[in-house]
Amino acid sequence: MEEKTAHSAQVPNIPVSDAELKAWMVTYISDLLALDAAQVTTSDTFEVFGMDSVEAVVMAGVMEEEFGAPVEPSLLLEYPSIDLFVAANVKDG
Amino acid sequence: MARDFDLSVVIVAYQMHRELPRTLFSISKDYQTWRGAPANVQVIVVDNGSDPPLRREDYEAIGLDLTLVRPECPAPSPVPAINMGLALAEAPLVGAFIDGARLASPGLLQGVRDASNLCAIPVIAPLNWQLGPQRQYLASQTGYDQDVEDRLLDSIHWPEDPDRLFEIAVCEVQPTPEAPLLESNALFLRKDVWDALGGYDPAFDEPGGGCANPDMLLRACAYPGAELVRLVDEGTFHQFHGGVSTSDLDQATAMMKAASKAYYRLRGVPLRPVRAKGLVLRSRGGGREC
Repeated sequence: MEEKTAHSAQVPNIPVSDAELKAWMVTYISDLLALDAAQVTTSDTFEVFGMDSVEAVVMAGVMEEEFGAPVEPSLLLEYPSIDLFVAANVKDG
Repeated sequence: MARDFDLSVVIVAYQMHRELPRTLFSISKDYQTWRGAPANVQVIVVDNGSDPPLRREDYEAIGLDLTLVRPECPAPSPVPAINMGLALAEAPLVGAFIDGARLASPGLLQGVRDASNLCAIPVIAPLNWQLGPQRQYLASQTGYDQDVEDRLLDSIHWPEDPDRLFEIAVCEVQPTPEAPLLESNALFLRKDVWDALGGYDPAFDEPGGGCANPDMLLRACAYPGAELVRLVDEGTFHQFHGGVSTSDLDQATAMMKAASKAYYRLRGVPLRPVRAKGLVLRSRGGGREC
């Protein structure tokens, strides 16, 4: 199996801990949908939350602003839940 | 002497010599359908630096009450241009077509007039459609261009049977008309509300205006007492013209991401679509699903 590297365009590379990234994404989605954070199930897909492709692009842009690392919107489609996205993040940037 | 307009429509155009005549015809008395007497419509076109410049005489045969203006120093963003046009609007109800390449459905203006009576401070948002088999940034990857679009319009004998526009277009609001709403490219507000909001925010100075139009919808919906009215089975139909957000998938994605970052820096919160359903006006009775 091909190892994912920090320099691959196919994985997120956001320089924060898993816990921080997960907490940020939960907050983002709960704010977006006016939910309590406890209502955001991290294994649910973004589609389950009603996020469309435009909202994924917006989220990628906001992540770039927040974390100072490039985030391709396609990564949110490739890893379409908080758990999958955080697990894929190599965070060595 | 003040003229007694019922509606003002402000349209920004840049390099739309092919598209603008159709757009203007689509809001004319010969095209729009009315219950009773037609509204007295003021049309203001702002030529945002087209080369060659737009000429008023080219549109005289359409029969509009047309004002054509051009900024002295056109900007890459359409925001100064749309605000220039809004300042000239005289009617109590004013609509903004920030992209002049949009055909109106034949009942659009009657629908707007109906919607204006539903509540005290309506934010009237006809839905956006795009001509073609799918969104144009996708369709362009398989050959959709202006020639294909011309043939598509010919195939429904536009403008003789303009209701058929819905047969050759896709709705931008998916999967239902009540889905989250990012923008409307024919946003109608009371004149005093436009004035109170200060029009579009000139901070959106990037080419194409970035998130100026979604921002305008959000600010309008946040106006005290305002109610969103989704005009579901009327709309505007985007003609393919090489615009920054509708011509190419990669370009559209990059532009949207850059615009969302600019919005976040400006407002301090992520750009969000309007999730409130608001009032839903199905002006043709049974309605038309996206």
